[in-house]
Amino acid sequence: MSTGTANSAVSSKSTNSTTSTSKVPVNEKSNNSQNANTSTASIIKSYREIVNDPKNLDEAANYLYQSLLDDAVVGVFLEIHHLRKTGNLTAMDGVNEDESETSFRIVDMPNFDIFGISTAKKPMDCTCPNCDRPVSAARFAPHLEKCMGMGRISSRIASRRLATKESNSASSSSSSSYLQTTNAGSDDEDDVDWSSEKRRKKSSQNSRNNGSKKNNGKTF
Amino acid sequence: MTLTKTVDQMTILSGDRSKLKDLLCNRLAECGWRDEVRLLFRGIIKEKGTNVKVEQLITEVTPKARALVPDAVKKELLMKIKAILAAQEGIDL
Repeated sequence: MSTGTANSAVSSKSTNSTTSTSKVPVNEKSNNSQNANTSTASIIKSYREIVNDPKNLDEAANYLYQSLLDDAVVGVFLEIHHLRKTGNLTAMDGVNEDESETSFRIVDMPNFDIFGISTAKKPMDCTCPNCDRPVSAARFAPHLEKCMGMGRISSRIASRRLATKESNSASSSSSSSYLQTTNAGSDDEDDVDWSSEKRRKKSSQNSRNNGSKKNNGKTF
Repeated sequence: MTLTKTVDQMTILSGDRSKLKDLLCNRLAECGWRDEVRLLFRGIIKEKGTNVKVEQLITEVTPKARALVPDAVKKELLMKIKAILAAQEGIDL
């Protein structure tokens, strides 16, 4: 209730103030128009007095010139201020010659590019998250595929492991008998035999790049 | 009413002030005065850093800028101003 009364009081006050203010400009307007009429007349009158005197005319011309020149100076200042605030001033300044000499000098040496970075090939090694072995970056993706036991080749390894287990249970562990048993299998066994031959050679040459699981999978 | 106020109001009323201002700005840009004043400002800003008051900067630069105006431009402007002020003698608004 108290707030309501306060609000009403405020509103009544505001209405009072608005009415008062709305009244005032009307008076001011009429005053202004009257003032304007009288002031222009008075300006012209005093202006004629000034102009008629050559000494005053000189003074007026000098004053006008000075004020116009000051305006021009302020104009230049505002231009600079705008450039500075928008960051264009620093951009226009650029970098000093000495500074650019030290920090942006072009390197002209053998085995270095223009930024002074060595062009010699660096051995980039990544550690495999699965087997914690350093693998060259170029070989990382194929290694990971095999190491994680995903992809085409590793699945064949798994199936071959199954096949070798079967052949072991059949009491024949030699590769020739393994080939015979696999050949007797399904239609794509030729492919398996070929790849297994190849893989045996490859794994002996660079076993580092092949996954640990795959090496473990070699049971023969 | 003072002389300066009268001249200001009269020139604004007749619209000659903006004309003269345009003329002066053009002349000053033509003779390279603007570039010189710009260099002055930039030098002061570089010297004193960024915390310079506007009034301080203006008061410091204005006398130098006045001295930098070529005599030809100054004479031409004064002639024009005098001619315009004299021509408005018989004006009726």
